[in-house]
Amino acid sequence: MTTAAGTSLSEKIGLLRELDLFRGLSDSDIEAIGHATTMSVCTPGQVLLSPDDPADRIHIVKKGKVRVYRLTPDGKQLTIDIYDRGTILGDMRMLGQGRIPETYAEAVEQGVICTITPDELTRLIELHPQIAINVIRHLANRLQEAERELEAMAYQRVGQRLARRLIDLAQRFGATSVRGTLIEARLTQQELADLVGTTRETLAHTIADFRRRGLITTDHQRVVIRDAERLLEVAQGEDG
Amino acid sequence: MLSTSTRLDVAGIPAATVAEMSEIDQLAVASFGISLPQMMELAGLALARTAAEIRETLEDARLTVLVGPGNNGGGGLVAARHIANRGARVRVILARPVAQLTALPRERVATLVEMRIPVCVSPWDLADGELDAELRGSDLIVDALLGYSARGPARGEIAQLIPRVIASGTPVLSLDLPSGIDPDGGEDSGEDSGDNDGVMIDAAATMAVALPKRGIAVAAGRRRAGSIYLADIGLPAELYRRVGIELADPFAGGPVVRLA
Repeated sequence: MTTAAGTSLSEKIGLLRELDLFRGLSDSDIEAIGHATTMSVCTPGQVLLSPDDPADRIHIVKKGKVRVYRLTPDGKQLTIDIYDRGTILGDMRMLGQGRIPETYAEAVEQGVICTITPDELTRLIELHPQIAINVIRHLANRLQEAERELEAMAYQRVGQRLARRLIDLAQRFGATSVRGTLIEARLTQQELADLVGTTRETLAHTIADFRRRGLITTDHQRVVIRDAERLLEVAQGEDG
Repeated sequence: MLSTSTRLDVAGIPAATVAEMSEIDQLAVASFGISLPQMMELAGLALARTAAEIRETLEDARLTVLVGPGNNGGGGLVAARHIANRGARVRVILARPVAQLTALPRERVATLVEMRIPVCVSPWDLADGELDAELRGSDLIVDALLGYSARGPARGEIAQLIPRVIASGTPVLSLDLPSGIDPDGGEDSGEDSGDNDGVMIDAAATMAVALPKRGIAVAAGRRRAGSIYLADIGLPAELYRRVGIELADPFAGGPVVRLA
């Protein structure tokens, strides 16, 4: 990667200001960092990252598109994903950022990449404690995202299973009414929870959510399916 | 659900709407314990058998398998494995980067890479002109781009791929439906498709899975499907009965039967 001869300091500062890591710093701080970090212009086809690169440095896509690929056993390229600006590539333990093994990254169009090594980041943190706060914020966000994902996965599975079970019950015990399909089987929440394979508490939470979304209503331990089409989408895991 | 009086059929086999087909898949998984990977494996194996029947033999044949991001693509990837096992030269072209495929097809890409079957992503991994040369040089193109859950006209990479398939003049075997046609309406998607109007595969043959879809039973889709085959993925008559479809076993003659 070549250093951007064409990137003027003021341009570089403008690009740095957009990076989360440097948010909240003064103009003069940003200017000082501008001198200390490497901002490179990349041309289409340029390889930005390869498995042989030193570990523990990050590249931030500031402009342009980047293609991530790996080599198949017969040496051909297989595209894994296409990334846009804002993506952090490479790995740096300090940021909880890992690298997909055996991958290469290549610029698809002319772009700008900001590269930072751990030493540079440490030095910058010493000089500008605000960056440490930004790093903590970044890590906290990642942690929160991971927790949200876990929660969504666990919840999605129960929601999906409940939707499937309700559709199955409606097939067997359903009666069409003006309000929707009434499942003519009285089931306590515990019985339904056992059928779905979850706890009564999680089931109650999921039922309440289905009610709020207008998928079902409940009436004296009986369920009425109000929106069969959307319930089917939930059952198929298509409701995000 | 459409009432039975308006139900279309192909050679006496009832055609299913998108709503019915998703209900059938749903029942298979939730009530009958027949999983999606199982169905995908059987559909893919049947597709390879259909390709063999069309070509008479797969030995030394050259096939290109076009793969979309969903379960239809997954069936195509399974077929690619079996086609390669029968001695054909196969090349797989994905219409999306690997990470943008759903989980089941993604796992099946890994198997093909391990088998050293050439897999690439269009347009990213192909040099200029390579795709057209590949399509023209193939004996048969397997179209596993879009399935019955596709909505609206073909878009993005798939919409760019279809005209090049047509221009190649190579015969196409489509999985379930010729890609680009509406699963219910055939050529008539019921919405303005703008620039993508007419971006539809003209198949030499179509292998429908479980039941023919309505889109190839209506006149405005039937002509895009070519010869129609039907594949058994093991769904029982009791399951069809629950969605209001009476089906006498069509597979007495084998796991793939020719309907039209």
